[in-house]
Amino acid sequence: MGSRSEIDRRTFMKVGSGVLAAGLAPSLEAEASQVVTAASSLAEARALSEMPYAVNWYPFTGHPDSDTCWSLSVGPDGRIYAAACAESVPGEVVKPVRYNEQRDDLDYLFDLAEKVGDPGDSGRASQCKIHCSFAPSMHDGVLYMATHLSGPPLDLPVYSPWHSWHDKKHCFRGSALLAFDTRTDRVLWWDTLIPKEGCRCLLHDEERGLLYAMSYPRDHFIIYDLRTRKRRDVGRISSINPQALFLDKRHRVWTSNDYGRLVRYTPETDRLEISPRLLAHDVNYQSGWHSVFYDVAPSPDGECVYASTWCPNPRLMRIWPNEGEWPRVEDLGPATQLRDTSFPIDMYRDHCGGLTCGGDARLYYVASRWRDSKYNPMPESRKQNEGVVWRLDPQTLEREEVARLEHPTGMAHYVSRGAVDHNGDLFFGHVGNHPSGIFKVSMPADRKRKNAHLPIRMWG
Amino acid sequence: MQTKSRFDPNSPEIKAYLNELAHQFVREGTMVAFPTCLPGMTTPITHDESRITALDINAEGHVYGGTSGRQAHLFGAAFHGLTGIVLDAGAVPGSTSTEAICCGASRVIAFVNGPRGGRAVAMPQLRLAEDWIQEWGLDEPVLQELGECVPAEPVVHAISGPSRKVVVGVSTRHLFTVDVESGLITVVGEAPGRGHLAMGGAGVFGLDEGNRLWRFDIASGHIRRAAVHLPDGEWTGALRWARDRDSGLLFTADATGRLFSFDENKGFRALGRAHLAPVGPMAVVPDGRLFGFCGEEMANLFCCDLVSDSVTNLGVAASILEQRRYGYQFGDAVTGPDGEIVFGEDDNGGHLWLYFPKIKGVSSTPLTS
Repeated sequence: MGSRSEIDRRTFMKVGSGVLAAGLAPSLEAEASQVVTAASSLAEARALSEMPYAVNWYPFTGHPDSDTCWSLSVGPDGRIYAAACAESVPGEVVKPVRYNEQRDDLDYLFDLAEKVGDPGDSGRASQCKIHCSFAPSMHDGVLYMATHLSGPPLDLPVYSPWHSWHDKKHCFRGSALLAFDTRTDRVLWWDTLIPKEGCRCLLHDEERGLLYAMSYPRDHFIIYDLRTRKRRDVGRISSINPQALFLDKRHRVWTSNDYGRLVRYTPETDRLEISPRLLAHDVNYQSGWHSVFYDVAPSPDGECVYASTWCPNPRLMRIWPNEGEWPRVEDLGPATQLRDTSFPIDMYRDHCGGLTCGGDARLYYVASRWRDSKYNPMPESRKQNEGVVWRLDPQTLEREEVARLEHPTGMAHYVSRGAVDHNGDLFFGHVGNHPSGIFKVSMPADRKRKNAHLPIRMWG
Repeated sequence: MQTKSRFDPNSPEIKAYLNELAHQFVREGTMVAFPTCLPGMTTPITHDESRITALDINAEGHVYGGTSGRQAHLFGAAFHGLTGIVLDAGAVPGSTSTEAICCGASRVIAFVNGPRGGRAVAMPQLRLAEDWIQEWGLDEPVLQELGECVPAEPVVHAISGPSRKVVVGVSTRHLFTVDVESGLITVVGEAPGRGHLAMGGAGVFGLDEGNRLWRFDIASGHIRRAAVHLPDGEWTGALRWARDRDSGLLFTADATGRLFSFDENKGFRALGRAHLAPVGPMAVVPDGRLFGFCGEEMANLFCCDLVSDSVTNLGVAASILEQRRYGYQFGDAVTGPDGEIVFGEDDNGGHLWLYFPKIKGVSSTPLTS
């Protein structure tokens, strides 16, 4: 990929603002002009919105330094919330946004760093993002959100939590947990969820008043009691952060470890246990290593979840946590295309995320597709990478391609999270463009229903 | 709010910072995290029972260890010839931590704490020198309970005597011995247990009250309280020690990370300071360099070189061979037969971390340029 906007995400995040600051990439002014170009193309893109599964792109133009959107969830009010994250500009911060269906645009809710007293110019690693960490509270209309780290302090080009762990000046203050009242649009309170560490993913067990989180980088399992506002560190899981937690009917919390095994926390025993069996992976050449959860979506009846892995050749699976001593795991096969397995493909290119069940009781997800001279020789008229919206029938397990995400100028293949709103439309958060943004995919009338977001997903 | 960056990307400081980031993990040498199992064949010790808190090594170069967590396990390990195995000898009923493990001449004595008090447990030497590539055979080891060491006092640490026929241990307030062969436990007298013990020429040292060391003479069975004055420093924490097995020189650190060598005849010598405190497990390699971990929550490896009189930060532990894993907390360390160091990872899913230090005299590599 040649242009700045198409630089692969891993490279971009690695060099980040160091490249910008060193003048090795187009300047912010050039970025701004790109935004203008993108905006004019936007109108063109939205003209296509009358088609079934029409796709609209909503860039975070109100936060032009944003470069990623790791969190997108439906709130307790049925509206769509997303995180306009800014990881690559030193001292930049995250701003939660909400899709405004009346204006068909985004509302910028607040500067989260200011709300938690840790502004971008604090000198510490910044409160730059919310990573898979929106969690609703239905009884009071609160949306909990917890921040993650990666954005450098003002005086450094990049940030490493390992390097700065003992550095009092630069070390990230900690994941900020914030309670946002969606009924009044007020921040009710905040607290430090995990000192020094970021929150990779968050879950709310509303019946028990507990939040569960995974810390980064140490990969510790954290419990936060909303009544006492006290946290407890249950201990380390492994090295590679799982990107999702999920809850079963017995209030057990599930995630995964480095070696592709389920990890279960049982409140009654207060233990983290590892499953004897491996999660789905390609047994032809993979061992299960790195088959950690990327995204997990509950089925509408709450009996099973659908999951994808954060691994080259991500795998789809269906897990039945309420069955047996250890859950039954169904391998639903690869989510993405065939490729040369002798080369460790860029994980930004080969990706699957945005899992959510629609009002038609089908699973929707976005998987990347890319041009490959041998396995997928797409014409040059198509972009190198594409984000394909798939619809999977839980009964037959048949899947159909229903839409292709289109970005006016950049790529649209890396979706972090997906959600369906109270009108039954699909939304997907996207990572990699500058500014970043979200996609709306309008559901066909015969496949959408009101309050399709219920029962609501309780994790980010 | 001003959010424009405040640095010059071409400044020497930023270039130095970026260079540091590029080498923030294991700046010298190689670390290999080895799971507590026969990889590919057995399951590792249970996730929340595998915090490795005690290690020792016998004359054959086999490593014995104990874990802490929901239950304490005892294990043996070997990494030479056709071995490459960690063999779990099982959990010790009623125990939640292993405080020390001591390789005796005929068997191994472990010291565990738990609801049933501070106890000694004997483990037979394991048949580790098998062909673990092709075909192996062995019996399951049977652990033998030796009893509570000092009534109602948890064990703090223990160490093998030079003959390996007797083990000297300390509880919170008493010193005791264990006869390796018979398993007989004898409470010798009063001495505080504050951290680890160290083996001198013929005596055992432990931290006493008032910035002193007590000394226990194994031959006479005599405890000499306040036998050695500690040098100026903050001696508030639990002591850790390392011993150069060739010279017998001991190494320790105060609570602020100041490192000292200790010679029974010549006394203490200040060596420098680790960049973080507290100092955790340490071990000495045959060329005299001292390696150890320092810092809480996310420990850093350091090297203290007595020849160059330097203490170097070697960064955070990471394994890229055998297992891909970051290492944050370590409980104990021993030096292997060829000068490699084996660190016990004091964390959930703990591994044995083999550290192969950079060969001394290799003057320049891309990592240090």
